[in-house]
Amino acid sequence: MRIFHLSDTHVGSASDFNKGTLYRLLEAINESGCDLVIHSGDVTQGGRRTEYKRARQMLSRIEAPAVILPGNHDARSGGLHLFEEYIGDTSGVREIGDTAVIWVNSAFADSDQGRVGMVKYNMMRRALNEHSDTSIKIIALHHHVVPIPRAGRERNVLYNAGDILDLILSSDVDLVLSGHRHYPNIYRIENTVFINAGAASATKTRYGDVNSYNLVDIDAERQHVATRWVDGSQREQTFSRRRRHVFSDFGRRVFRAVQVSNSYISDGRAFLPQHFRNAVDAISGLQPDLLVHCGGIVREGIPQDYDIAARELSRFNVPVIYTPAGRDINYLGYHLYATHFGQFDQAYSDGAILFQGISSAQYDSHEGIVGPTERRAVLDQLAAAPEHIKAVFLHHNVLPIPHSREKGLLEDAGDLLRELVDANVDLILTGTSSHPFAARVGNTVVINANSLSSVYQRSLYGNSFNLIDIYEGAIAVFEINSLWGRRRLLGIWERNNQSSD
Amino acid sequence: MNMNSRYPSFSELNKPIREVVTKRLIGVTTDSSLQEGVAKMVEFTISSLVVTDGTDPVGLITDTDVKRAVADGLPPDIPVEKVMTTGLITVDISTPIREALETMSQQKIKHMLVTEQGDIVGVITLRDLEDISRQRLETYISRE
Repeated sequence: MRIFHLSDTHVGSASDFNKGTLYRLLEAINESGCDLVIHSGDVTQGGRRTEYKRARQMLSRIEAPAVILPGNHDARSGGLHLFEEYIGDTSGVREIGDTAVIWVNSAFADSDQGRVGMVKYNMMRRALNEHSDTSIKIIALHHHVVPIPRAGRERNVLYNAGDILDLILSSDVDLVLSGHRHYPNIYRIENTVFINAGAASATKTRYGDVNSYNLVDIDAERQHVATRWVDGSQREQTFSRRRRHVFSDFGRRVFRAVQVSNSYISDGRAFLPQHFRNAVDAISGLQPDLLVHCGGIVREGIPQDYDIAARELSRFNVPVIYTPAGRDINYLGYHLYATHFGQFDQAYSDGAILFQGISSAQYDSHEGIVGPTERRAVLDQLAAAPEHIKAVFLHHNVLPIPHSREKGLLEDAGDLLRELVDANVDLILTGTSSHPFAARVGNTVVINANSLSSVYQRSLYGNSFNLIDIYEGAIAVFEINSLWGRRRLLGIWERNNQSSD
Repeated sequence: MNMNSRYPSFSELNKPIREVVTKRLIGVTTDSSLQEGVAKMVEFTISSLVVTDGTDPVGLITDTDVKRAVADGLPPDIPVEKVMTTGLITVDISTPIREALETMSQQKIKHMLVTEQGDIVGVITLRDLEDISRQRLETYISRE
């Protein structure tokens, strides 16, 4: 199966789109020998009738079967109605041989944000269930599911990206095709290859990029993606579809870490002291080499909460390192944090492993940022420890979290994730949104922790912490319920596996 | 596209087990000792282990097998292949949850290995199936 994937044509005025580029692209489509064309949205610049007419006239040159979906620009000016009139269904399923393409409209009127509401989500889920034994499953939607690098501030996000990501991974989708950010990017997350197309013919490109498209070949053994730019340059990546499911050969355990977040220590009802104390006992019994607290230590950055926190946290008989959330440094918290817990960017190294904290919080804000200067400094620190197992920890999430509204809280999540994955960091630990989640992006396992002991948590399994066991041959991560100690496997991954074969 | 499922679905029994399968299994090789196998079950706090010959799964060891081995006075260094359960009952990953539950109740088993195109890709336990209401994948963001 060969798929020609393009996105963001932005058919409109000459200032919005490169007409000649689109015509050349249409020729390339017909010469590519593709079985299927997927246009992942923003067909038009402004959702106007004249633009749709022109787009239909141009796209009608495509000879292969085509799936064209709407983007946020198509939903402007009441454009979704016109999309159906000129282009086709905004959501649907198409079967071609042993391939099922499920596409959903993630745009809604007059907003650049994305959303796949309950009705469309259930349609998507039902289609995935019905195609459980179809050999190639493809999801196409306009908005990016995971943050995209080199596209500026993380924004215009898919509100329920966490739920969509969870559904995609548990349904073993093979390919996810998106656009929206006008910058090409490819990740393999677990068994799914997420392909974000650059702008096909929009004049607005990012980071000095030029127009591009993707040619995707998929068979029983591999997914191969060639990104081609109009300046003639090309980048190719191949991913094996074969996965290891049985893990026997763990080797020696080299490190045991426990990850907690959002303890929310206070004298108020938001803090659950019994959960906290049971978790302290359970964690002590596990005898970890290190406890990593990913922010949300106190309910608020006030002296009363810090005094209680210092007392409660002294119960741990293991080394603890911290990184703050915004609430930890509100009010007097900025000073109290330093007094009680030390510096903001904490690190731990025992010669074989490095845990590097990144303080992403700002006071009086839920939002976070690392920034290019600090990211470079972190990468330099990681590069200085080439033989170490490397873990980075921060409060803000870099992958969307299930059952929470994705808000793009970390401004430079796209750049940070890309740079850490490219640096082959082994672990990224985060602690936002109070729901556990773990997935491997490339060779990097990204793990989010639920709230340890706050009433404000989202998991039906209850408050929890994560146990991270690093063996010579694998990394195993369990969620452990704070109150009762019940375990649930979040994942096992081979170490030193290559994401691109 | 089917528009029947407008609302969150509370009846999951006709869905394939794929969504709830644990797609990673912890195993031991046939030449491992019973003690090594049990150590792994303790290390990971799990109730079953897959036994593999090379990369091919050939059996399963559960809590019950271990108890029986101890009750029978078998030595800790006995190879796991002497105590494992063979003749595994497997289930395809696209099997509806209802059918998987029926098979488990008829066979009186709490674990089944899950296959996809003949390869073992995961395990499903009674607890996974009991937990379906908790694991339900939904989105609560908006209706449309």
